Formats: sequence, C-alpha cells, structure tokens
Amino acid sequence: MKSPMKSPMKSSATTPMKLLLALDDGPGARRAVDEAIRIAREKGATLDALFVIDATWDVFTGHDWLSGCNSRIGFLEYMQGLEEKAAAESARAFLERRGDVPGELLTAPGDVVDVIREHAARGYDLLVLSSPFTRGLEVMRDAVTRLTRDAPCDVLLVRAAPE
Amino acid sequence: MEDKGLFGKILAIVPGLAVMIGTLYVLRVYVEPWMKDAVVFGSKGWLVQVLSLNYILLSILTGMFYRNILFGGKIPAWAEEGFRTTRLFIKTGVIMLGSLYTFDKLLKVGGVAITLIVAFVFGTAIFVLWLGKRLGADRSVTATMAAACGVCGVSAAVATAPGVRAKPVDLALSIATILGFGIMTMFVSPFVGKMLSLSDYQFGAWVGTGILNSGQVLATCLAFNPNFAPGTAVAYGEIWNVVRVLCIPFVVFFITAWYWKGEADAEHVSLGSILASKFPIFVLGFIGMTALSSLHIIGAEGSETLHLMRDVMAWVFGIGLVGLGAYIDVREIKAAGGTPLRIGLIAGVSKYVIAMIIILAFIPKEGAF
Repeated sequence: MKSPMKSPMKSSATTPMKLLLALDDGPGARRAVDEAIRIAREKGATLDALFVIDATWDVFTGHDWLSGCNSRIGFLEYMQGLEEKAAAESARAFLERRGDVPGELLTAPGDVVDVIREHAARGYDLLVLSSPFTRGLEVMRDAVTRLTRDAPCDVLLVRAAPE
Repeated sequence: MEDKGLFGKILAIVPGLAVMIGTLYVLRVYVEPWMKDAVVFGSKGWLVQVLSLNYILLSILTGMFYRNILFGGKIPAWAEEGFRTTRLFIKTGVIMLGSLYTFDKLLKVGGVAITLIVAFVFGTAIFVLWLGKRLGADRSVTATMAAACGVCGVSAAVATAPGVRAKPVDLALSIATILGFGIMTMFVSPFVGKMLSLSDYQFGAWVGTGILNSGQVLATCLAFNPNFAPGTAVAYGEIWNVVRVLCIPFVVFFITAWYWKGEADAEHVSLGSILASKFPIFVLGFIGMTALSSLHIIGAEGSETLHLMRDVMAWVFGIGLVGLGAYIDVREIKAAGGTPLRIGLIAGVSKYVIAMIIILAFIPKEGAF
C-alpha cells in the first residue's frame, strides 16, 4: 500500500499534493476515510471528499415498461431521498474524522464512476477509494475495474478491514 | 440539466430511435427470412423451429448486444433519449393489442384467467411472505420479493419499494434476480411449449401465469408464435397480463399493510391512495381499444384496416423490444445474490412449474376464440 504512494508525491516546495477521496457506504468506507486522512496529514496534502448521489436508478429500471408515471416518479423520488440521506450520513462521518486536514466536501449527482473520473481529472494527484466500492448501484457493477482502467490520476485502493 | 426546448428534445430522440428502427428493419427484412431458409445441422429452418428464434427474440438479443458489447455496458448519451421511448412503444403496442378482442371473447376466457391469476398472484405473495420468514430475511426484502414474484416482477417491486422502506442494495438485488429469472424463462419457455405440444391457448395461459415479468410474458408469447391475431399465444397471454396488471394496486396494498402491521411505527395505508398512484392507466387504453373492436369500428376480422393495424403492431413491439434489450445489463444480473436470489429462485421455479401442471391438467387445447 505504501509503494504506489511514491510516484504522485510532490515536494513541499511546490504546490501541495491534492487527494480526492471517493466516499461510499460499503464495508471498507471507514478504512478508506482513515487512510486518506492519514496520507493527507503525512504529506501536508489537501483532501477533498466526493460523495456521488447515484442518479442511474431510472436507467437501472429502464426495462420496466409497465409502471405508470405516478408509480415510477414515486419510486425515483424515494430512491433520491435515500441517496440524499446516505450523502448526509457519509458527510457527517467524514467531517467527524477529518479534523484539521484542509479540503472540501463535494456532493454531485450522476453515474458514480463517470462523476468520480470527471472530478479526478481536475488536477488531483491521488484518488483514494475502498475496494470493493459499493456506492449506490455500483454494488451491482464493478466500479474499481472501471475506474482503474482509465483513471486520470494514481489510484489507491483500500481493502475493507478483515472481519 | 440544460433545457433543450421541445424541438431540441425531439431532436435528441432521433439517433437512438433510428438505431432501434434500423435494427428492427434489418432483422425483419433480412435476418428473419435468412433464418427460415438457413440449413443448420442438416435441417432447413432449424434456427426458427428448434431455437424459436424470430424477430421478437432477435430484437431483444440485439438490444442486449448493443448494451453489453457494443456500448460497453452503458447506453451512450447520444442514444439515451431515443432508447427512453421504449416504454412508449411497448405501451402503445399493448393498447393496440386490445383490438384482438371483443368483450364477449374476453368474457369467455376472462373467468379462467381471473381465477388462475388471483390464485397464483396472492398464493405466491403469501408463500414468499412465509418463505422470507423461514429464511430469516429482512421484512422489507420479503415484502419486495413477495410483490415481485407474486404479480408483475420489476414493476411490482418498483410500486412496492417506497411503501415498505426497501433498502437500495436489497432492491437492486431483487430487481436483478427477477430480471435474470424472467430472461431465462423467456428463452426456455417457447422451447418447452413446443416440446410439450402446447396449443396457443395453453401456452398463453401458462406463461401468463408462470412468468414473473409482464414484458417477458409478451415477448415469450411472441417468440412461441409471432403472429398477432385472435387465438394466438399473445392474444391469450395478454388477457392474463392485463388481469395481472390490474392486480398490482391490490397486491401493493396487501403487502404494504402486512409490512406495517409488523413495524412499531405503523403508518396508515389506504387502498384508495394506492389505487390512485399505482393504477396502470394504459390498461384503460387497452379496454378502450377492445370497446372499439366490439363495436366493429376498427373493421371486421380479415379487413384491410385490421391487417394494417397488426402489421404496425408488430413493428411497434419489435422497436420497443430492441430498446427493452438495451436496458438489460448482464453484469447487473450476474451480481444477483443473497436472500433475494434464494427467495426468487424458490418462488419463481415453484410458480413456473405448478402453473405448467395446472395448465396441463385443466386447460384444454382448444381456445375460446
């Protein structure tokens, strides 16, 4: 876990290192947060945390042709509500642990992997996420493979703590 | 999201819709005729006769190919709006299907359909509620799976989820299970139906009772017999489908009431509000079309108008099914697991097999029309 960290390091004389932590609600979420905070402290880096509100439930249930508009809208609103609740809980947990590490808390809706990739391309040196990464409907997909395939920056995967 | 205006919205539909229409054109005009003549394993037309491949199944398979192989797992942004018209096409097709019936024909098979559907819908729901308890499943998972296995698959899960506070992960797993099971039965059923020499009436009644997802009932009936006419598998299967669809609000009410009965912070559940929010309004279009047919307003059997209408219906369904296939992500189905998968498999297989036994025992080969 330490060796991949060497390449993105920047000397303290240049711009501080920028970390992006992708938040999720899986078993490895807490460990990923702790690891990102530890690295940020160690390197004097800024740490931005990103929670993506999964907006792909409409597509996920796209094969359901039968539901009426009311039923479908009610369902999508319900899922949106749950996503927002998860975002608030995740944000609270992150802010409680972050302490004095500088950085922002970002929330954005969309396809989880697309949004993370898009943010990671905004000048970050390292993307930290848990593996498996189970934010929203990524529990049914393979976010880690998709993200590492063409990541715009270095990626640190943090395993869930062994039970 | 930027506001494109009406013209922009219509324009955004064009690329995806063109893909769906173009695909169906190629399948119907070139691929299907080729398959009928193709010699495989020394037998002419083997692909059609043995594998039951016709433009309906090919439409779904091609849509799945687009999504999972060509598009790399995600419908691209340029095609998204066009593929979104899928629901519109299939609902239009179902409304047009109403023209295959008259009210006196519906009455002839309606009693059998209602008896079988009500027994299977509520029987399955009660069985799943019991099974969920036996397997120690979370109450919201049990409730979602009871609706999904009992009545109309994914649509029922979508309708029930908010009322039973379904969790996203459980819901995703339930939907993947139901969809996966439905797809499997969609490809297996025509083969089984032909092997058992089922008539169109028996086949329509069987899949209308036994298959979990309503969309797949239609596709399976059309895979068995791709013709749109009174007395075909789709004509019978759709009667079963409509009865099922009408059951959705009642099943949602029953299961939501069961769920809240076991919760400490019980909420009041009203059948009226569920009927208002969950009633599938397109069924009224179907009934309206049957009324027009009963009044002989859309032409007598064999008329040019009806012939044209059925041809349009075939195109409308085919286009919709290409889109339906494109919404099937194999990775998501492969991720199905846990308690929803166990419940889905036990309930789904039991319903499918028991429905077959009942049909063979009690439904005659000769249909009512």
